[in-house]
Amino acid sequence: MSAPVMDPRIAPPFPEAALPILQNTQLRKNVAHATDVIQAKRGRLVAEKADWQELRESAAAIRAHALANLGAYLEEFETKCTAAGGVVHWAADAAGAQNIILGILREEKANEVIKIKTMTSAEIQLNPALEAAGIRATETDLAELILQLGNDEPSHIVVPALHVNRKQVREIFAERMGLPQLSDDPEALTAAARSYLRRKFLSVPTAICGANFLITETGAVAIVESEGNGRMCLTLPRTLIALAGIEKVIPRFSDLEVLLQVLARSATGERMNPYTSLWSGVTPGDGPQRFHVVLLDNGRSQILAHKVERQTLQCIRCAACLNTCPVYRQTGGHAYGSPYAGPIGAILTPQLEHMKHAQSLPYASSLCAACYEVCPVKINIPEVLIDLRAKLVDQERAENKRWFDPMYIGMRAANFAFASASRFRVAQKLGQIGAGFFTDKDGWIRRLPSLGARWSLSRDLRGLPKQTFREWWAVRERGNKGAK
Amino acid sequence: MIPSSSRRAILDRIHGATRNDESRYEAVPRNYIHHGSFDADGRIHLMTERLREYGAEVMETSPVELPAVIVHQIQLSGRHHIVVPPGLPAEWLGSGVNWKLDMGLSHDEIEHCGGVTTAASGAIADSGTIVLHHGPHEGRRLITLLPDFHLCILRASQIVETLPEYFARFPEPPRLATYISGPSATADIEMTRIKGVHGPRFLSVIILRDDC
Repeated sequence: MSAPVMDPRIAPPFPEAALPILQNTQLRKNVAHATDVIQAKRGRLVAEKADWQELRESAAAIRAHALANLGAYLEEFETKCTAAGGVVHWAADAAGAQNIILGILREEKANEVIKIKTMTSAEIQLNPALEAAGIRATETDLAELILQLGNDEPSHIVVPALHVNRKQVREIFAERMGLPQLSDDPEALTAAARSYLRRKFLSVPTAICGANFLITETGAVAIVESEGNGRMCLTLPRTLIALAGIEKVIPRFSDLEVLLQVLARSATGERMNPYTSLWSGVTPGDGPQRFHVVLLDNGRSQILAHKVERQTLQCIRCAACLNTCPVYRQTGGHAYGSPYAGPIGAILTPQLEHMKHAQSLPYASSLCAACYEVCPVKINIPEVLIDLRAKLVDQERAENKRWFDPMYIGMRAANFAFASASRFRVAQKLGQIGAGFFTDKDGWIRRLPSLGARWSLSRDLRGLPKQTFREWWAVRERGNKGAK
Repeated sequence: MIPSSSRRAILDRIHGATRNDESRYEAVPRNYIHHGSFDADGRIHLMTERLREYGAEVMETSPVELPAVIVHQIQLSGRHHIVVPPGLPAEWLGSGVNWKLDMGLSHDEIEHCGGVTTAASGAIADSGTIVLHHGPHEGRRLITLLPDFHLCILRASQIVETLPEYFARFPEPPRLATYISGPSATADIEMTRIKGVHGPRFLSVIILRDDC
């Protein structure tokens, strides 16, 4: 199996990438099943919360407040974390973050690292960089391990291997762990991963993690997880490196009373995830004695500067918007060509790429706003999508190649025709004649030529009626007069 | 770019982007539910129900009976070697169990123990969460992670109903904290919930009625 392309700079546009996936019925079944299960659980647990809307309101306000004071909070986090024995690094972009991490690993003389699931590390393409430097990275989250061993890529922020079913997992584990007798029972598969990873946990002295929250008040990092692989990586190794986007800060420890309540319910449909870990710097006698935090910008400070787009950074990565999105539920995550899929990925990825790549993603939405409704921090994703579309159109308008763009020419022609009643009448007549060639005997158009073919690929269109509305109206008026 | 100049550049961009922002922390609305409505019995009942939903074993006992109940629960689990943090009250540790006091046990020594017995720092009934702040009574983080069986002694007076009540109880943030809401679990394969990926597969909780 060849790995899907998840680097937005080289990934094919969304409609192109989605096409083969839509024909993969197995994958679509897997994605539909997983998103249905999570959505049903989420729905039940949100319904039992009488103060859900108040929690959302507060969660959104806490995140917006943190972003409005981001500089001050980051500097205070740095001070507190350093005082607690941590070392804070600042990375302007992906290459900067890679270099910092590789530098630390060289100092540690590490040739192997264990990793907790972090989408940010996928964003900066950390694993290929480690491999190129001769450092073996082992993913310890069960889903990430399945993907790593299967040469596959994550397709969901919270359950990254939801597109793979038990039979496929069995095949990957049987081959890569050398267990030909392994059954496809999830319990047996999980046990196989447990013993495979236990050796790694106890022997590899360096770990890399992400961060769910950076707590300004204490300089602490919070990791939210289910399996315990996180706790293993946070306590067993000698050295720990946390890679975190600069937007992850929250002001106070007690702000978790809101954020933890909305996160678990939204992400996995649980009242609380099985394990949450919080630690400040290093603690003598408990856990890693060397701790680094790498604060990553990589486009985030630019997103911050735009009023409408800034809310993108409020995200706490719960993936509720993916599970509810009618587009994601059909395509799964790989079509988005980015570690961040679904509605949040459609707004985050192009912005992280400075609107130079992933330009098809803001269009990968029906603007139905289901994502906004479930978002625990109230990110108005449709609003940002529309704003990004406008930006892209402005960008295209400034480019010279527009006269070679059939879409642009079509829009100009429509503009010309719709601007006058007589031109519109002529266009209708021409349309009737033209459409006649593509209309089937039963009055339906199923296949349009050239550019229209892409549109009619997934849609049938009723043929144009013999009589236009204006013609019908004129006849009716004459008839009425005649009756008087 | 050298690291220190990255710091300056990032902070400059952030300050430029937020120059005209005014947002006070005190202005954040907090109209969600802070306090629960149950009495002590109600809280214990809810905590017990939640823990059982997670597949944890729960029982209540009085201070007098506690040592015997601890030993009984450990024997029921079929385990013999049990790690305990250094601060656990000595009178809790009855005979019949091979107690291993954690005064810097090695990873292997902990790994080879069948279980661990600790106290807790708090609990949240609404989500069935056990809180460890990893002081002398809860021990360092590792001892409640490597063994397959965790027996946790929770004082009834430590149980609050809501998450905000827990945060109100600890205005001084802990240096370390672990919130445990049921045993280690995954749903990564076809959303089938499997217990015990890496952490303890068996969680047993004794609620100590120190409130009556």
